[in-house]
Amino acid sequence: MEGLKLTSLSGKARTMVEAGPLRFGAGFAVIAGPCSVESEDQLMTIARAVKAAGADALRGGAFKPRTSPYAFQGLGLKALKVLDKARRETGLPVVTEVLDPRDVSWVSEFVDILQVGARNMQNFSLLKEVGKGYRPVLLKRGMHSTLEEWLNSAEYVLSAGNPRVILCERGIRTFEVYTRNTLDLSAVPAVRELSHLPVIVDPTHGTGRVSLIEPMSMAAAAAGADGLIVEVHHNPGEALSDKAQALLPEAFGTLVGKVRAIRACREGLEGGIQ
Amino acid sequence: MTLIDIRKKIDEADFEILKLIEERMEWALRTRRLKNTAADPERENDVLENAAGAGLSLLRAEFNRGLFERIISEAKHLEDEHRLLVGFQGEHGAFSEEAVRTYFPGQVAVPHSEFEDVFRGIGEGDLDYGVVPVENTLGGAVTRINELLLQTALHVVGEVKVRVRHCLLAQPGTDPKDIKTVYSHPQALAQCQSFLRRNNLEPRPFYDTAGAARMLFREKPRAAAAIAGELCANLYHLEVIKAGIEDRDANITRFLVLSREPLKERGDKCSVVFTAAHEAGSLYRVLRIFAEAGINLTRIESYPWAPDPSGYAFFLDFRGTPDDPVVAGAMDRLKETVRTARLLGCYKEALS
Repeated sequence: MEGLKLTSLSGKARTMVEAGPLRFGAGFAVIAGPCSVESEDQLMTIARAVKAAGADALRGGAFKPRTSPYAFQGLGLKALKVLDKARRETGLPVVTEVLDPRDVSWVSEFVDILQVGARNMQNFSLLKEVGKGYRPVLLKRGMHSTLEEWLNSAEYVLSAGNPRVILCERGIRTFEVYTRNTLDLSAVPAVRELSHLPVIVDPTHGTGRVSLIEPMSMAAAAAGADGLIVEVHHNPGEALSDKAQALLPEAFGTLVGKVRAIRACREGLEGGIQ
Repeated sequence: MTLIDIRKKIDEADFEILKLIEERMEWALRTRRLKNTAADPERENDVLENAAGAGLSLLRAEFNRGLFERIISEAKHLEDEHRLLVGFQGEHGAFSEEAVRTYFPGQVAVPHSEFEDVFRGIGEGDLDYGVVPVENTLGGAVTRINELLLQTALHVVGEVKVRVRHCLLAQPGTDPKDIKTVYSHPQALAQCQSFLRRNNLEPRPFYDTAGAARMLFREKPRAAAAIAGELCANLYHLEVIKAGIEDRDANITRFLVLSREPLKERGDKCSVVFTAAHEAGSLYRVLRIFAEAGINLTRIESYPWAPDPSGYAFFLDFRGTPDDPVVAGAMDRLKETVRTARLLGCYKEALS
């Protein structure tokens, strides 16, 4: 691939991205939490539950890119303050999506990692803005994007001065409709061939089906992913967004145990991850 | 206008009404020294007549009369509680008010525009106490207070330390990305420099942190926020966008509590001011007294002494009480060694 001066592997050492106590690219990082922050009680309950279940970081949306303009758009600043409270109380680093370049500095005040969502993967002004920032960036793969386009988006962030990018495969659009998206797990080893950046997997959006999340998480760990981001809700039926695809904390706990076992097995087979 | 817009206006008006009533109560309490009893039928009658005859188009005379009967009755009730009046410099919501509330919980914090007014208010008996800042861990000494302490006959009867925690405040519901300018005292702006730079905000100096919050509340400038203490959020109906925005957290201000009378109880810390002769070794001879007595000094500060521009006054704080013969002996030796010396007070040391 041409033009990926900063993103391509080509002889560079693998990048470890630090976010608080967490290091992406060293060990297996599990991010979990609700799709959206709905209230302080909801987020604190889930934050404590995912921490107890073995999560390394907390996710929670403050600004939601919804298909319909009439759907719940997120609580904005109120959600950011709640996320800030959760990270202070649990010590978990927090990930949230940023949609508007003008929000980047403000969101950075309240959370540890900025997510650029699939729909914004080629929002170049947003990529440049997070590239000028001081927070690590979780860059999701666009649902219609090739690996080359995705890595070029990472190049935008790196070239703007921020070397801390974590890639995230979250499924692409295919003709299959049973699953919400088709989770492209071949992207994991492919990215590891092409780039030095850590790559994690989002099995929640990648499948859109609760029953498929655990098997695809295990497959992601087996394929060499550096971590997962999973939606967890203590009461999925009441969730204000993505209600059909959130795991209960108990199921999430089981999943964490299994993926860590797969990861250990893989490390055993490979004699440690290079 | 939508119903929501109109209700927002009504909420604002309600808040203003309560604020003004509170301000009126504060003035009523400040009449204490000037009259013998809370009740004053003649004056009350005047107030009720004024209210009844206010001639506002929607308010009936009977309504106004009833409203002010309630207000007067509440004011008399408050006056009969005999709360302490404690002066501070600044607007309501200033960090000095936080110091007053910390040291005198449940008492009345009375704002003054200048430090002199606080000193004078105590001296003349309008105030029971005053609370004034002497030093800050980042900003150093408050020079104006040093100057006033040199001249005053008041006594230091206590100290209190307040951690200065700056907050970004704005109108409720403000989207942070709409904020362009931030008003505050230059020192507060300087202490939050990196926050302002990170978010591309333009600092605008204002005479006071709480004053900036009050201005936001009164004038509602567009695209503006203020840096002030959290207390101001409640006082001026503002939202805390972010708390703790200072660049360094070790930002503590030490305040002294002043009174007309020295502290009756036994203290464990003393503040002294002395002026030394302008000659080699004069300060050394003073420090030697304390070193030899084994007394632990906690602060020493020099200040130009106005009556003799070539001389210096020194502020000295130390642990101990003049009830202790060792300390009393050191104080006697101090008075023999220097030109002038005065014990500002002995009081209980504040916990850090």
